[in-house]
Amino acid sequence: MQRVGIDIGGTFTDLVGLRDGAIVIDKTSTTPHDPTEGVAIVLADVGTDIPAISDFLHGTTIAINTVLERKGANTALITTKGFRDVYTMGRNNRPEAFNLEFRRPRPLVPRSLTWEVSARMMASGDIVAPLIDAEIEAIGGELLAAGVSSVAVCLLHSYADPGHEQRIGKVLGRVCPGLFISLSHDILREYREYERTSTAALNAYVGPRVRTYLDRLEGFLTERDFGGSIQIMRSNGGTMSLGQARLQPVTMMESGPVAGMIAAGRIADILGIEQCIGFDMGGTTAKASLITDGAPEVREDYYIGGYSRGQPMQIPVVDIVEVGAGGGSIAWTDTRGGLHVGPESAGADPGPACYGKGGEAPVVTDADLVLARLNASRFLSGRMGLDPTLSAAAIKGKIADPLGLSVSDAALGIAKIADASMSLALRTVSVERGCDPRDTTIIAFGGAGPLHAVAIAREIFIPRVIIPRYPGNFSALGMLLAPWRQDFVRTFVGDLARIDEAAARAAFDELRSVGNARLSEEGLSEADTEFQFAADLRYRGQEHTIAVPLGGVGDLIGGGSESLRQTFDRLHDRRYGHAAPDESIQIVNLRLILRAIGGDRSAEWLSAPYEAEDVQPDQTRDVIFDDPAAPVTSRIVWRPGLAPGAVIEGPAVIEEPNSTTLLYPGDVATVTDHGHLDIAIAGEA
Amino acid sequence: MNVHPVTLEVVRNALVAYSEDMATALCKSAYNMMIYEVRDYCCGLIDTEGRMISQNKGGLPIFLADLGAAVLDGIERYGLDGFQPGDAVIMNHAQVCGQHLNNIVIYTPCFHDGQLVAFAANRAHWVDIGGTRVGFGSYATNEIFQEGLQFRSIKIYEAGKRNDAVWQILLDNLRFPESSLGDLRAQMASCSLGERRLDEILGRYGIATVKSCIAEIWDQAEAEAREVVAGIPDGVYSASSLLDNDGRTLDKPLDVKVTVTIAGEDMIVDYSDMNPQVPTPLNSGFSGGLAAARVAFKCLTMPDAPVNEGCFRSLTLVSPEGTIVNARPPAAIGLWSIMLPTVIDTILKALAPAMPDIIPAAHKGDMGGVSFYGYRVDDGRRFLLMNIFGGGWGGRPTGDGESSAVSICQGDVRNVPIEVQETNFPFIVDEFGLRPDSGGVGRHRGGLGAIITYRCLQKTLANINLERIVDPPWGVFGGGIGQPNVAIIRRTDGSERRATKETNIQLEAGDRVTFLTAGGGGFGNAGDRDRAAVEEDLREGLITPEAAVRDYGYSQASEAAE
Repeated sequence: MQRVGIDIGGTFTDLVGLRDGAIVIDKTSTTPHDPTEGVAIVLADVGTDIPAISDFLHGTTIAINTVLERKGANTALITTKGFRDVYTMGRNNRPEAFNLEFRRPRPLVPRSLTWEVSARMMASGDIVAPLIDAEIEAIGGELLAAGVSSVAVCLLHSYADPGHEQRIGKVLGRVCPGLFISLSHDILREYREYERTSTAALNAYVGPRVRTYLDRLEGFLTERDFGGSIQIMRSNGGTMSLGQARLQPVTMMESGPVAGMIAAGRIADILGIEQCIGFDMGGTTAKASLITDGAPEVREDYYIGGYSRGQPMQIPVVDIVEVGAGGGSIAWTDTRGGLHVGPESAGADPGPACYGKGGEAPVVTDADLVLARLNASRFLSGRMGLDPTLSAAAIKGKIADPLGLSVSDAALGIAKIADASMSLALRTVSVERGCDPRDTTIIAFGGAGPLHAVAIAREIFIPRVIIPRYPGNFSALGMLLAPWRQDFVRTFVGDLARIDEAAARAAFDELRSVGNARLSEEGLSEADTEFQFAADLRYRGQEHTIAVPLGGVGDLIGGGSESLRQTFDRLHDRRYGHAAPDESIQIVNLRLILRAIGGDRSAEWLSAPYEAEDVQPDQTRDVIFDDPAAPVTSRIVWRPGLAPGAVIEGPAVIEEPNSTTLLYPGDVATVTDHGHLDIAIAGEA
Repeated sequence: MNVHPVTLEVVRNALVAYSEDMATALCKSAYNMMIYEVRDYCCGLIDTEGRMISQNKGGLPIFLADLGAAVLDGIERYGLDGFQPGDAVIMNHAQVCGQHLNNIVIYTPCFHDGQLVAFAANRAHWVDIGGTRVGFGSYATNEIFQEGLQFRSIKIYEAGKRNDAVWQILLDNLRFPESSLGDLRAQMASCSLGERRLDEILGRYGIATVKSCIAEIWDQAEAEAREVVAGIPDGVYSASSLLDNDGRTLDKPLDVKVTVTIAGEDMIVDYSDMNPQVPTPLNSGFSGGLAAARVAFKCLTMPDAPVNEGCFRSLTLVSPEGTIVNARPPAAIGLWSIMLPTVIDTILKALAPAMPDIIPAAHKGDMGGVSFYGYRVDDGRRFLLMNIFGGGWGGRPTGDGESSAVSICQGDVRNVPIEVQETNFPFIVDEFGLRPDSGGVGRHRGGLGAIITYRCLQKTLANINLERIVDPPWGVFGGGIGQPNVAIIRRTDGSERRATKETNIQLEAGDRVTFLTAGGGGFGNAGDRDRAAVEEDLREGLITPEAAVRDYGYSQASEAAE
C-alpha cells in the first residue's frame, strides 16, 4: 500500500509519500501553465509506481488563487425577484468605521449578469409564487447569449426547501449543457442570504477552472493505470473525493495551509505541547494558527481576503491568519524612500532573481541568499542552483542604489521588514487573543518557515521553536494525516421545549440520508465512519449559537431535551460566564460531521523512533545576522545526518533537502527522539 | 518611569485585546439585535479617575471614550473606598449620560491585590426601558420622565449579592424583561471577563509598570493626532446645514451650525450657534455633541488606531447648554442620535476647503431603519422587528461613494438578513435592492441609496424616522445632491401616502411600506466624469439612460457621433 500526498502551492509542488512504513519526499517548482507537470515531476523523482498507489491525497491553491487574482469564470447569478442586489450590497456594514475611504469587496458577479426568478418561498417552505420552467428556459438562453460559463443559484429560503433550486438546476442543465451550475443548498442549508449567495458565487466563480484542472489530473493518473482513490484536501481539515471536489471547489479554498496546521497539531500532541502557533511560510504568504490540544480552531464565518473587505464563505474553515510575506515576496521602494516587502510575489515563474529565469525584482529569498543564510548549492537538494550574483544585482539595482545603501544593508532591511510583518500575524493569533507569546511555542514549516521562525520568535519573545521533520513538505504530509470529512448543516428553527417530533425526526432522517448518500458516492460504509450530530442552540432572543453534540434525535425530543438543555446551560456558562436555566432555548441548525475512522498509518510514522542517515561533514560560512558589516562565521550542519539527542548551538545553519533552519548566536537546537528540532531561543527560554 | 518597548507593545496589544474580548463576550451572548447585529454597545477599561484605558474597536462609533462620565458619577457617590469585589453598578441617568435611556451602562470594580485599580465597563442598547414608547423612536415625548426608567449609579449587585428590589422594578416595568435581563447578564459577564484579564496582566508586570505603559500609550495617541492636526492649515472654518424639523412642528427646519478652529496642533469644535433645544425628543445631552465631534476628529486624524483617552486630547469642544446637542434637563432625548450624522457631515463640510484631498461629499445622513411591533396573531407574543439599512455615501476625492452603506455613526452595523426577518417576524420583504439614479452627480458620483419594501402579514404598528429631506446630502466642489429619503405606505385599498417622522403607524395585513433611502452627494463637476464610468453605470443599471443624458450629456447616439 502506498499513500501519496501532493500539495501544489503558489511557488512549489511538494510530495510526501508513505511507502512500506517509510517516508519519501520531494519538491519542485510549481508549473503554473499546467500544474500536473509538476505532479509528474515529483512522482517520477521518487520513482513512484503509480498503479501501486492506494491513496492519492491532494491539495492545491488553484481555487483561492482564482479568487485572489480574479481569474475565475465569467459567472452569472440567479436569485429571487426583488433581491438582485443582495450580493452587491452585502450586509450594508462598514467594518472600518472611521475610514472615509472604505470600499466593500467588489462582487465576483456583476449586477448586469444577475437574473431574477419570480418563484418565491417562505421560511416555512410554503410556496408564495411557483417556479415557472419557461422563465428558467428563457434565462438559460440569455445566459448562453451573455457567454457565461458558470452560474450560481441562490434563492431565498432554499435552505428550508431546495425544490426550486433543484428544478432550476435541472432546467439549466438541459438548456445549457456544459454550464457549471452551483446551487446554494448543495453547499450549505443554512439561512443568511448574503453569505449563502457569496458562498455559491465563489463556488461558481472557481468551478470551471478547478474542474478543468481536476479532469486533467485524473486523466494524467488514469493514463498511468492508477487504480486507487483520489482525495482532495478541504478547508475543514478533512478530505473529499474527486467527484465532490468538482461540485464543491469552494470547500478547497484553504486546503494547503489547513493541511499543514493539521500536521502541526499532531506534532504538538506528540511533543506534549498544549498550546502553540503553527507557522507556515511559503513562497507567497505566511500563515499562522493558534493550536490548542492538538487541534486548530474551525470557524464557519470565513472571509477570503479578510473580514472588512473580503468575500464571505459560510462553511467550516480552519482558522488561519495570513500576511502577504513569503520567500517570493517582492521588495520595492516608494517615492518617499520607504522600503516595502510584498504583498506582490514573484511566484514560481520567473521566481526570485537568483533562479536565473529572468526575474529582475529582488525577493525575500534573494535577500536570504545575499545574507548567506541560504546555501546556493544545496537549494532543493542541489538540483536547483541559485546564483547569488543575480540576487545581489537585483537588490543593488532596485533597492540599494535608490536608497543609498550597501547591498548587504538593503538585504538585511528586506529580511527584517518581512520578519516584522510576519510577526504581526503571529501576534494576532497570540497576544491579541490573550495568549502571551512568552508562554508559547512556534511550530514552523513551509519552505521558508524554518529560516525566518527564529528571527520572528526573537521579535515577539517566543522562547521555543519546533522545526518538524520535512518542514518543506509539511502541508503534503498533513494531507496524509487528514481524515475524509464532510460537514452538513440544516437550518431547523424552533423552541427546544416544544419541538415538533415528526419534523425533528424528518430533519434527522434527511441529514442521515444525505450523509449515507454521500458515503455511498464515496464508497465508504457507515462502519468506516463516525457520525457526529450537533445542534446549534441559543437562549430565545440571542443570535449567536453554541454547537452542542447530540447522539441522535432522541436527545432532541421528549425527555432527551432536558439533558440537552443542561449541557447547553453548562457550555454557555463556561464560554460566556453566565447561564439562564429558566429561559427557553431555541434550536437554529442541525449539523452532521462525517469522519472516516481508522487506518491511519501516517500518524504512527510521526512518532516513530528516528535514526540519522546521510551523514555529511559540517561546513562553515560567514552569515549576516544583525550587522551587515560583521558577518559571523557559522557552523553549517546537514540535518539528515543528525542523530537523536544531537545538540547544535548557534550561530549555525541547519540545512536539509527542502528547507533551511537559521540559529542565531546562542540559540540551541536539540534533535528529539522523533527527529524534530527543538530550539531554545537565547535569552528567552 | 521608562518602560521597555517590548513590554509597552505587549501591554498595548493586551489592553486592546481585553476590551475586544469583553465585546465578544457581550455580543455573542446578548439577547437583542441592537447588540448582536447593530453592535450598539461599547466595552472598555476605565481608570479610577474616569479615563478610558482602552476601548473595543468594533462597537458603535459614536461611543468614543465617553464611558468615563458614567463611572465618575458612581465614584462621586460611593467614594473610591466604597466599592468591593462583586459590586456591579447600573447607570443610564439622562443628565449624566446624555443619551437615550435605552443605553444602559454596567460597570464593575477591578481589584488587584486588594487594591481598586480600574473599572470594567460597557454600555449596551436595551430594546426597551419602559416609558410611553415601545423600544425607541417616538416623537410623542416632551420630557425625560416619559421615556423610561432612570437608574443613577445604583448597585444592582453588592458584594455578589443581587439587589432584589431593583431587579423586581426591572421585571415589572420593561416590556421585554427576558431580553433586557439577558442583556444585563451578558453585560455583567463581559465586565467580569475584563476584570480577570486585567488582573492577569497586572500580575505579570505590576501596577506601576502597567500604569506607565498606559500613560505612554495615551501620549503616543495624542502625539499622532497632533501631528495630523498640525498639517491642516490654521483658520476658522464654518458650515451650516438643516435638519428637517423637530418631529412635531413639521414646517420648521432646525439649524445645524458648527465652527471649527484649527490652531497649530489643536482643533476646536464650537456648537455655540447650534439650534436651541426643542420640546420633542430630538435632542441629545452633552454626550451626543461630544460624540459627533469625536467621530469627525477620529475620521480625519487616526481612523485605524485603537480608541483611548489620548486620542482626543487635542480636540476641544465648546458646547453651551440649551442646544439640541446639549439639552438642559429634563429635556426629552429619546431620539438623541438622529441628528448626529448631520452634525458630523457639517463638521466635515466646514473643513472640506482645508482638506480637499480627504473629505467626501455628504452621505445619506440619517440612521436609516425601521421598527415594527405588535402582538403576534398566532401565539399572542409581543414582537419587535428592528432593522437598519444603508444609503449612499458621498463621492470622494479618490472615487465614487459607497452604495447602500450604514451611516457614519454606525460602522460595523449589519442589516438583518431577509431570511432571518421572515423566519422570526410576520412580514414578507418584497424587495431589497439599489435605488438607481439616487447618487448625486459629479466627477465622482455619490453612492446609491437602497429600496426595501415590507409587506405586513398581520396587524402591526410601525415607527418611521426619516431625516435630511429638506437639506439632502450635498455635493462638494460642484457635485450634485443625492436623492433624499422617502417612505411610502401603500394600503390594500389602493391608497398611498408618504411618511417622514411618525410613531405608532397602524398597518393591516397586506399593507406595504417602501423605503427609498438617500443617495450620497457628488464630488466635482458632472461634466468631468470619465465616459467609461458613465458607460459602466449604464451597463450595470446604476443610472438610467434618461439620467445619463440629463446629468452627463451622454447618450449612445451622441457617443457614436463623436
